[in-house]
Amino acid sequence: MTLTQPDPPQMQDLLQLRPGWVVGLVGSPGSGLTRLGLAMLAPPARLAPVVALDVRGWLCPPAAWEVGIEPERLVVVRCPQSQAWPAVVAALLEGVRAVYAEVPAGVGDNQLRRLGALARARRSGLVLRPLRGDLPAGVAHIRVRAEAVAWEGTAQGHGRLRERRLTLQASGKGAAGMDRLLMVEDDGTDALRVVSGLAAAPAGRAAG
Amino acid sequence: MVESAIQRVVACNTHAAAAGVEAGMLRRQAEALCPTGVVLDRLPEVEAIGFEMVVSAVEDVTPRVEVAEPGLVFVPLQGAVRYYGSEAEVVERVHSAVGTHGGRIGVAGGPFAARCAAAAVGDGGVMVVGDDTGFLASLEVGALGDSDLVATLRWLGITTLGELSSLPRAALASRFGQQGIEVHRLAAGEDRDPVPRLLPDDPAVEQRFEDPLETLDQAGFAARRLTHQLVSGLARLGVAAHLVVVEAEAGDGSLHHRVWRSADPFTESALADRVWWQLRAWIEAGGVPGGVARLRLAPDDLSGEGRQLPMLEHLWGTGGSEAWGRWQEVIPARMEAERSIARAQAVLGADSVLVARPQGGRLPGDRVHWRPWGEPVGSAERDPGDPWPGSTPAPTPALAPSDPPMIEVEWEEGMPVRVRLGARWEPVSSWAGPWRLTGRWWKGEGPADRYQIVTSVGAFLCLVREGRTYLVGVYD
Repeated sequence: MTLTQPDPPQMQDLLQLRPGWVVGLVGSPGSGLTRLGLAMLAPPARLAPVVALDVRGWLCPPAAWEVGIEPERLVVVRCPQSQAWPAVVAALLEGVRAVYAEVPAGVGDNQLRRLGALARARRSGLVLRPLRGDLPAGVAHIRVRAEAVAWEGTAQGHGRLRERRLTLQASGKGAAGMDRLLMVEDDGTDALRVVSGLAAAPAGRAAG
Repeated sequence: MVESAIQRVVACNTHAAAAGVEAGMLRRQAEALCPTGVVLDRLPEVEAIGFEMVVSAVEDVTPRVEVAEPGLVFVPLQGAVRYYGSEAEVVERVHSAVGTHGGRIGVAGGPFAARCAAAAVGDGGVMVVGDDTGFLASLEVGALGDSDLVATLRWLGITTLGELSSLPRAALASRFGQQGIEVHRLAAGEDRDPVPRLLPDDPAVEQRFEDPLETLDQAGFAARRLTHQLVSGLARLGVAAHLVVVEAEAGDGSLHHRVWRSADPFTESALADRVWWQLRAWIEAGGVPGGVARLRLAPDDLSGEGRQLPMLEHLWGTGGSEAWGRWQEVIPARMEAERSIARAQAVLGADSVLVARPQGGRLPGDRVHWRPWGEPVGSAERDPGDPWPGSTPAPTPALAPSDPPMIEVEWEEGMPVRVRLGARWEPVSSWAGPWRLTGRWWKGEGPADRYQIVTSVGAFLCLVREGRTYLVGVYD
């Protein structure tokens, strides 16, 4: 495997939502992706309200406040019904600049593709977090998959959770066709630091 | 005379003054200095009646007088200057009208500076400030009023408005919030209504059409072009309009006009839409026989907001938000967002679209006060500013089930060993706790213990109560 060290800002860019982009976050609960998705909403939230679409009623806004979103700027939409989900996301994408949406099981691939096209057309940013499985191919510009999560601060009963280190794999059009491994440090504040990035070999070429 | 709410002297007669009584003094001090004096309560409504003759005297000179409080009026000068020919002439006339009442006059570019100037001269005096910024810079911070913030500024060693305005606004914003921005704006002479004293001439824009516009396409194009001309012209003057009169002359000479008003100053796209709606309404109703021969847009209710918006720019110009739009787009972006959210609310119901506010609490879910989006802010049940001993420390889990489900944890000698996640048992790699949570005994709850449990697939906040374990947070 060829390993190169790309520029840090470029790596940081991979975890930024841009107007008209769709970012897919794939990983089980606990892998750290909700907080990452909320952090992506923070820059657009400085201008106008942003929306987090909560399927299970589990979303906890203090985490969003910690990553730098003002309480008044975060609108939480609870949508447990998967039938209403596509229509609600479409309505939101019409005017809201940035939307973080959990994807319930039972939403069709075509509906997700259509929402991706709508986000591009409206120049809204869309972060999709499937609650089960993966996103269909071709929807997300960047697909971020959680590889591992390691916590610091706790021992056998002592201490408390302080800081975590996520290992993420980014791929897709937005990552310029390369699969990249990212290490992200998160200490519970709005400073989300990409500490190292490794570019794996371009997809489709023999690694060696 | 004493203001009863604060028990301080607001005015006194010459006898009391001779005894050493001053405005601003405590009632007790004044009574000690002048024990024979009579203390009267201040009655603003009576003051207002007395002040009415001053207001009407100024109104004889210029019709546009804004009364701020009994004893203080603001007179926007631009109209009067146009009428009388020069600023000096207007000031002279106002002075001769109110000078006999001992009125003080301050003339400056903005109301705050003008007010400070009036406060700086003696009874019956006039002070014309040429350089607002320089004048304000020389004033003491007490000019901002008597607030805790001013006391804090003094304590920080900031004694003049000049020192205050030389600080970066973003720094004041982060330290003192909205109030900090407000005082910085005042100190820099950018308060409400910084309308130039002289607008060069009528800012209205107008276009005649040799061939009257008959189709909607033509009208829409003309509306857009004329709006652009108007809004960019106003922006150059540093003002924005809250009210626009749309006037159209039909081919047969009949005249139509309609006033459009907006709470926020009109942005270019918002105004273009309205002009277009209006033209369309007229054309489709057949109200402009022979087509639109002349179109005129006259702004009114100008405010300085067009100028103030860029001041906010550097407040959010950091951290990648540039990509999301410039300050000019803020108001349309918010309006669009609100329309969309309202549509989602129409689909799901008011209780499904929520805004959260911090409140005090010990578990992550308790720290949130929810209210339906669009409803007024109520008061939080529990003040987040109060100390909450035993609250769960940050980072906060990003997921906190509102109805915590049970979770299976295997214990060995009081220590968690394995957690069941879905179908699998995950070994516990490390953990913290227990943190005791006293139950609400008045609701019959027993005490509970919180544990932070870390596995290779993530960390979880668990609550153990009466031998059962609940999942109260996922550090996702």
